[in-house]
Amino acid sequence: MSRPLPARAARLGLYVLLAALSAGFLFPFYWLAVSALKSQGEIFAMPPAWLPIPPRWENFADIYRETNIVRAFLNSVIIAAGHVTLALLLCSLGGFAFAKYPGAPGARKLFAFVLGTMMIPGAVTLIPTFIVLTKLHMVNTYWALIVPGAAHAFGIFWMRQYVASHVPDDLLQAARIDGCSEFGIYWHVVLPIARPALAALGIMLLIGTWNNLMMAFLLLRTPEMQTLPLLMYLLQGETRTPFGMLMAGGLLTVVPMVIAFLLFQRQFIAGITAGAVKA
Amino acid sequence: MPTERAEGTGLARGRGPACGGAGGPRRLLRACVRRHWHFYLFISPFFILFAVFGLYPLLFSLYLGFVKWDGLTEQTWVGLGNFAAMLEDDILAASLWNTLVIGLLYAPLMLALAFLFALALNQPWLRLRGLFRSAFFLPCVTPMVVIAIVFGLLYSPERGLLNYVLAGAGRALPFLGLKPVPWITSEEWSKAAVAVLVTWRWTGYNMVLMLAGLQGIPHEYYEAAKVDGAGPLARVRHITVPLMRPTFLFCGLLSLLGTVYMFDEVFVLTRGGPGISSTNFGLYLFNISFSDFRFGYASSVAYTVALGVFAAAMLVTRRSRLGGGAGEGSS
Repeated sequence: MSRPLPARAARLGLYVLLAALSAGFLFPFYWLAVSALKSQGEIFAMPPAWLPIPPRWENFADIYRETNIVRAFLNSVIIAAGHVTLALLLCSLGGFAFAKYPGAPGARKLFAFVLGTMMIPGAVTLIPTFIVLTKLHMVNTYWALIVPGAAHAFGIFWMRQYVASHVPDDLLQAARIDGCSEFGIYWHVVLPIARPALAALGIMLLIGTWNNLMMAFLLLRTPEMQTLPLLMYLLQGETRTPFGMLMAGGLLTVVPMVIAFLLFQRQFIAGITAGAVKA
Repeated sequence: MPTERAEGTGLARGRGPACGGAGGPRRLLRACVRRHWHFYLFISPFFILFAVFGLYPLLFSLYLGFVKWDGLTEQTWVGLGNFAAMLEDDILAASLWNTLVIGLLYAPLMLALAFLFALALNQPWLRLRGLFRSAFFLPCVTPMVVIAIVFGLLYSPERGLLNYVLAGAGRALPFLGLKPVPWITSEEWSKAAVAVLVTWRWTGYNMVLMLAGLQGIPHEYYEAAKVDGAGPLARVRHITVPLMRPTFLFCGLLSLLGTVYMFDEVFVLTRGGPGISSTNFGLYLFNISFSDFRFGYASSVAYTVALGVFAAAMLVTRRSRLGGGAGEGSS
């Protein structure tokens, strides 16, 4: 179907504009990748080098040799996996309970209370949380970054909404008649059905915990406990920063989240918009 | 909604006596609680963790607001002393001022951009929508620390790409008056440098929220307006904008909270400097907490500002609910 010329020109114009803006938004990633393949001199060359020719792969060898980046990567993975798993378990269990036991005395008030806790700003509780973690001897352990925040009020809300609207009561009743325990119902019936909601919540939690700098900075004290973002932060020197190496490490820190986002972007976006529409 | 169901029906039906509800005799209530012990067991992890990492910190922080403490030595009760000290604290005032300036520099621009992007991506004929959306959205899922270091390179006054481009554009198009800018090395520009970084990072996030809002507007409204002869601009102005009010409000509140409590962006890009020119409230609070170890004073400041922000948020929400009226049904 052909359209009038002005309309087609307008459409083409919008495509060009969106393409240019997209390129602009992606440019810092491009610059990160290019800088990871440059020497210190090339990074600060004037005029700037748009392409790294020849590519300097030694930056990756340097960061592997001069820092404990493998350990930092593993630390980040362990903390992210631990935090996301624990939070998903707690949130789905709580969400299931709030969705499917409406007859329990106080259920509605307790749910309102859970929602209310979302309004507490983290800045107010930061110092006492730090003190609690010190008293529990969790400072400089993985637990310090895994456990706090695992009881996620939004996560409970999100799982409750999903379970309430996607898991039929009859199915639970049937499982019960077959002799399934209440926990068995949660594990064998609810969790498999709630997989899309778990994916959405999981990706949100993953991105939050992987990128976290402040808590890692406060709570992880020794080099062998550092996460990737913390290692990147500390690589910046007071006088001279090894930028080539830093950009190589930065790329390794960024890429996992880019992949995770591209794989789960539909679920992720569903999650954050649900938060907005319901709030 | 499932919770609207009368108590005692639902799943537990057919197992023991019906629950009497809150008004029933004590014995029945206790039996009912016992019968739903799974419910309490399943929600208990949240409440246990909340007690340790939420409620206790909240109360302890309130107490700390009235004492002087560095975390190691004895706590001394100072009554309202911390709150009085706040009035004399020039750095606190400066950080709040910086927060306001940074917020005003980026939030209106970012929200307008996000709305325009959302309008563009909401065109039904547009292809490659997923690609554009990913490009705009990607900044907010990537680790800030790395991005801020990259921006630090781009902002470099003598050897940064941004100033190279500005100088080139200034030479090519002299009438624009563009020239290199000391982004992160001057007190005049450091806030703008932070604002640009924040805009880049959060425009896509707000765009996605606004897209969801746009998709919630019934198509018939536009059809009806079209029949009445309203052009595209008039439709945006008289249908889209009024119906998007709740979304704008939500995005605005997120920006308010985000600017006040922002940390990574300034901590890595400028460390709050030069001087304290780009220190927002979040970084200021971090500094008095964990550089100066003024745990008592920091707690009183955190509480006061949190209550202030909460009051401001309530006021704005109220106002817009009273004034707007449109779009109430979205929640």
